[in-house]
Order: sequence, then structure tokens, then C-alpha cells
Amino acid sequence: MIKKLLIVDDSPIARKMLKSCLPKDQGFEFYEACDGKDGVEKYLSIRPDITFMDLTMPVMTGYEAIEEIMKHDKNALIIVVTADVQMKAITTVLDLGAYMVLRKPLKKEDLLAAIMKAQDTLQKVQ
Amino acid sequence: MMEIHENQILTSEEGEILQEIMNIAFGKSAADLADVIDTHVVLSIPFIKIMQVTELPMYIREHVKDYKKISIVEQNFWGRFKGDALLVFSSGSGKELIAMLQHGPGEISSFESDPIDILERETLMEVGNILIGACVGKLAELLKDVVTYTPPMVVVERYYTDALSERQFDVDKTAIVLKTDFSFTEGNVSGFLFLVTNNDSIKWLKEALRIFIEQYE
Repeated sequence: MIKKLLIVDDSPIARKMLKSCLPKDQGFEFYEACDGKDGVEKYLSIRPDITFMDLTMPVMTGYEAIEEIMKHDKNALIIVVTADVQMKAITTVLDLGAYMVLRKPLKKEDLLAAIMKAQDTLQKVQ
Repeated sequence: MMEIHENQILTSEEGEILQEIMNIAFGKSAADLADVIDTHVVLSIPFIKIMQVTELPMYIREHVKDYKKISIVEQNFWGRFKGDALLVFSSGSGKELIAMLQHGPGEISSFESDPIDILERETLMEVGNILIGACVGKLAELLKDVVTYTPPMVVVERYYTDALSERQFDVDKTAIVLKTDFSFTEGNVSGFLFLVTNNDSIKWLKEALRIFIEQYE
């Protein structure tokens, strides 16, 4: 069951937008990180079920953070949430091991569909 | 990322919303351009600064001085959100873009009958039109506005001091400058996009930002 969600984005507004798209009655626990480095550190201490990752961030980019997280946990479910929807960006993050890519601004239905898909994947892994 | 003018024209939350909207808008521009040119546009974190309009030429000069020579594509836009978009390219970008549109970086061979300066001007105009149109259009769309544009004006390969010194800005107005720098992974092309709006748009902008974020409350 998906419970712990880590949101990695340097924009507090983007983090707020993402949280608001999720149902309030599912008992999700939210954790937030403000750049890639913070995201990796929080990932390792929290071990979230899903990590939402922006790409363009200071200190450490989302690309670097995905690479780092995948080194530690090849089953990490990382959903990239980005404004950069160029084909090269999408193929790069998928090659790095990201689970899927969602485009900003997020649509509630896309986010819910992504979580349901991740839930299925998680059940298969377990 | 945002510096607030002492009059607090935008609150820090409004600045953050605007920054995120700019991030989404320039992402759309880059994707549209990547559909036309086989390259990846490396995006940066947008930066918002509020200043007196009279400070603007110096501010822009500071950012482009390393380029020495620059090309500028400029378009005015107006709706309820109105202002000026300035796309500044590094020296040599026009020729690089021509090559990329034709064969790949570093090669220019076709359209040899066209004088290179005309081709360069038209290429910069086309690329500028895509980047500015997609960015401003998306920004306006997210804020439920519709904007129209003047045709692009192009200044090709001029020393940055000359290119900017001719610019006339209204005095006694406040500018909100949204700056994004970019570079291409293929070809030696980089530059800045400046969107400059003034206090005529502020009242509407604040209300539009409030409505935008309300969807996510």
C-alpha cells in the first residue's frame, strides 16, 4: 500500500500544487525536499514508496538525484514531474531508471492514474 | 530566487507562483523549439527581479557583457498582461542555428544564393518567434489571458553596448523582469530571455496569480 510520498522540487509552490492534487482521505504521509541533494538524503532516510522529482533544481539536478537514488535502490519508484517535456529529457530520465514522467502543470487525473499504476507495480515487486 | 522591491509590488508567494509559471512556460518553448531543431535546450531556473525601468538597460548589459556581440529578437505583447520580450543570443548563434536547421552544427551549404545576413536575420526571427510565442503564450494561457504580438524585430551581431544603448524605456515605471538563461546541447548557442512587464499590468497580474493558485488550495 502506498503511504510515504517524497516530493523533491525547489519550488514550494510546485510542492503545494502537487500535494493539493492528491486525495486527502488516503492517509498519505508527505515528505518534502528542496533540491536533488536534499532529495537523495531524504530518500535514504525515509525510503518513500513514491518519489516525485523535478529536474531543474539548484545544488543537484533531478537527473543527478535519480542516478544517485537508483545506485542505492534499483527498485525506487521515481515519478518525474517537470516542465521540461523535450523528448531528450524524457528519454534520459527513463534511461536513468525513472518510473514515468508527468508534465507540469499537473492534472489531478494524471497524478491519480500514476499512483494507481505505481501501486500495481509495488504489489508485483512485493 | 526573487528580490522584492521595497514597495512589495509582489509578495514572496506571488513571486514564487510567477516563477513556477515561467518555468512551465519556458519548458513549453523549449519543447516546441526541439520539435523544429534537433537539439535539447538546457533550461535554467527562472529568476524574477523587480526594478525601476531606468535600471533595466544596465541590468541586461551586466548579463550579456561576456558575449561582447549579441543578436536580439524583440516582440511586444499585449493583453491584460502586457510587456516586452527580449531574446538575447550569444555571438555566432544565428549562423549556428542556420546550420542546425539545415544539416547539423557547423555546416552551412544550402541557400547559398541568399546573402547570409538575410538568412541569419530570418532564422533568428523564426527561432525567436517560436521561443517567445510559446513562452508568453503559455504564461498567458495559465493566467487565463490571451495576448497578441507585434512582429519580431531583430538586431543581428552588434556589440552589446550599441545594441542596448538605443533602447528607450519609460522612466518612472517599475519593471518586473522574468529572466531565463538557456543553452543548446548541440551547437554553440546560448542566451537569455527577458520578459519585462510594468506596473500597468500589476493589478491584473496579482489577481491572476491568486486565481491560478486557488485551484490548488
